[in-house]
Amino acid sequence: MTIFHFALKRSFGNRANLLFLTLFPIACIFLPSGEGWPFLPYGYQYFGIFILFASIRLAAIMLEDRAKGVVKRLAVAPVSHLRYISQNLLAYLCIMVVQCAVVVIGGLLYGQQLYQPAWLMLLYISFSAASLAVALAWISLYRNKEISFLVFMPIVFLVAILGGIMMPVDIFPEGLRRLAVVFPTYWLAKGLDWIAFGESIGPFLLVNGVLWLYAVVFVIMGSARKIE
Amino acid sequence: MKALKEPMTFVQGWRFLTIGALLYLWIAHEAKTGSYLLILLLLVLASLRWRFGRLPVWTAFADAAVCLAFVPFSDIGVYGLALPIFEFALKGKWAVSLLFFAGLLVPSLPSSLLFWLYVQAFLFGAFACTALGHQRDYKREADEQRKARQELERIRLELLEANRAVSRQAELMERHRISRQLHDHLGHDLTGASLALQAYEYVSDPAEARELLREVGNRLERSTTRLREAVHNMTPVTPIGADSLAYIARNFRHAGIADIRFRQSGDMQRVAPHMWELLEACLKEALTNIVRHSNASEAEVELQASETIVRLRIGDNGTVHPGDLSGSGIRGLQMRARALGGSLSRGWDNGFTLVCVLPLEQGGGIDETADSRR
Amino acid sequence: MRVLATIPFTLLRMVRSYIVLLLLLAMPILLLTVFAFILKGAVTETGEPYLYQTAITMVLTFQLFGGSIVMSYIQTDFFSEFRARIFALPFNRTMYAFSIMMCGTVYSILMGLILMAYTQFVLGVAWTNWLWAIYILSLMSILSSVVYLIITFAVKSFKTAERLSVLYGVSFVTLAGLFFPMPDNAFFRFMGSYGNPLALSVEAVLNMSRSNSGGAWFQANLLLAVTVVLFALMLLVGRRRMA
Repeated sequence: MTIFHFALKRSFGNRANLLFLTLFPIACIFLPSGEGWPFLPYGYQYFGIFILFASIRLAAIMLEDRAKGVVKRLAVAPVSHLRYISQNLLAYLCIMVVQCAVVVIGGLLYGQQLYQPAWLMLLYISFSAASLAVALAWISLYRNKEISFLVFMPIVFLVAILGGIMMPVDIFPEGLRRLAVVFPTYWLAKGLDWIAFGESIGPFLLVNGVLWLYAVVFVIMGSARKIE
Repeated sequence: MKALKEPMTFVQGWRFLTIGALLYLWIAHEAKTGSYLLILLLLVLASLRWRFGRLPVWTAFADAAVCLAFVPFSDIGVYGLALPIFEFALKGKWAVSLLFFAGLLVPSLPSSLLFWLYVQAFLFGAFACTALGHQRDYKREADEQRKARQELERIRLELLEANRAVSRQAELMERHRISRQLHDHLGHDLTGASLALQAYEYVSDPAEARELLREVGNRLERSTTRLREAVHNMTPVTPIGADSLAYIARNFRHAGIADIRFRQSGDMQRVAPHMWELLEACLKEALTNIVRHSNASEAEVELQASETIVRLRIGDNGTVHPGDLSGSGIRGLQMRARALGGSLSRGWDNGFTLVCVLPLEQGGGIDETADSRR
Repeated sequence: MRVLATIPFTLLRMVRSYIVLLLLLAMPILLLTVFAFILKGAVTETGEPYLYQTAITMVLTFQLFGGSIVMSYIQTDFFSEFRARIFALPFNRTMYAFSIMMCGTVYSILMGLILMAYTQFVLGVAWTNWLWAIYILSLMSILSSVVYLIITFAVKSFKTAERLSVLYGVSFVTLAGLFFPMPDNAFFRFMGSYGNPLALSVEAVLNMSRSNSGGAWFQANLLLAVTVVLFALMLLVGRRRMA
């Protein structure tokens, strides 16, 4: 578990990352509620965007490894590629789980209306997994950490808008509404709606299942070993 | 960009496009949200295939199982059967592939569209199977050819090296024989003559002295005779070295070239025997080419041996430009020249010119202490 | 003038950077197209299509970030990579700095113009007063360059400067209430209207199109005043940094 421990340490080694990962979740707790829509307070509605940004910042640490030539050394070390990726992703997922816990528990303590906090936590964790997997697949396309982050930014906004995080999917025209299903953010939005209104557990399990399947697909795509 | 031209790229593309088509069907026909899981599961399998290149053939049953599991809930399961049809056709299992055409039996769907979808999946799978099979065969054949070529190359180099080793060995044996001959016949007599002369200095009796002198004279005469015999015996009748080249050049005069001039300079003894063989071959090849292909009236052969190289130049005054006359003869000679560390080059500037340069071993000749039995 | 000769090359450098084109041109075009689809036909009570206000806001928001071009070129030319080369050149460095600033600002305005043209001719947004919109656009662009330069000069590390400048842009977008509504108290109301350049510029354009030229000029002049003051500040901080 050496790689796991070092991935944890490195995630906070960068001062900017440290500030970003600690301040933003706390800020999300205090954002106000909306009128009518969204059903959860703004901070909880937009937390998905934070998760996407956090996951690219964390996954980019692996990109740094490739840029610095660490991957070449790992290729001759007795560490399998699977172990390397799985321990890194596990470390980042642990960090994200902590963020989710901070936000949910902080919200409960602050008195935000969270409806079903336990399920909300599960939803956030599933989305974090999917988001980390997307980030992993994204960085496999790039060599430069900064550029991968800069190009990811507009995509995050697009995906957030088209998935229905920043405005409800119902106001979209027919074609866009059906197309939104492709984006993981749509499923997060659906899950958030269920948290506010849902009764039976079936649709919620579907949402989580879909998010974990997305995680599986993107991890498979992003796990090809690249030495350079 | 080269990766785009592989058959495998088209196979992967077909897989993802089909899943895209299923997604479009899902979007367009307002299917239930639950059946999105079908598309995601198929996507997982497709990405596994993309990531790992080739999966065992039974994994296509997983595709089929997923599709069949969703058939009660959504029509897309039946359309999705095109994927296992494709996978089985891709691996050459035609019968199993055709089995999934049973999806046509589902009554509520436009069976003609479904039929043609299945048929195109099957045909493309079959085509990709043959294309990939051929690609594998070609690669294997190309590998085998390359191996055989390298083997041949190795043997050729070994032969050239053996050639050189043999000529070294021959020279050493000759040296040994000559030294023995000189020792046996001449050494004996000359030593005797020298001793007799030494004794002559101490002898006072004139009769004995005259006797000793006659003895010396006899021995010297015998030595000279023996030496003449030995040299005569050892002088080869067939011309060797530079003489052989001159002999060849002279003989070619009758073959059609009016005038062949032969010049030599430098110490020819430094050239090793195996090099003479190559130089003779070069000269014969060049003169043959001149006689056969050119309209030259005269040719010039120049042989120079310096401290480090031996250079043979054959030129003529012909005007016919032969174009690319790289016959296998010249190629073989170039290979041998390169194997000896030298070069063979041709030019067509003023008539045809062939130049062969070979490096001479330093220290002038064979090093007897070198291990030539490697 | 030697500095004049460098201007075409500075412009060429800017055009070649595909990241800038992606973030400040492609992204707004994509976002505007998406919004055009979503807001097709939706109008406010006064009959003004929602897309009009969204388009103005989007175009002016991206002007907030236009200063990043100027910032990165000043940084590479005067403080890091090409510093030795630029300092060895026989021209007036201050003029060169101004030429970079001018080129960057013009480039940003140009991209804003392309966005406006796109919204007008492709998406069907009717900009009522082009000249006024261009004037406000230019003011925002210059303000952005000035603010970014102040941050660059004031802060030692370039990475911190980059982050602060992004923070500047994102904070004013948030304070304008574009992500979520701000709390309703005096401070936030001020920061959402007169204390916020984005809000000022959007209101200026909207007022002019609603024929409220008095209000429009007031807001534009506020912007101009802030720009002038910050420009002077920038000169001060810049002089101190260069020395």
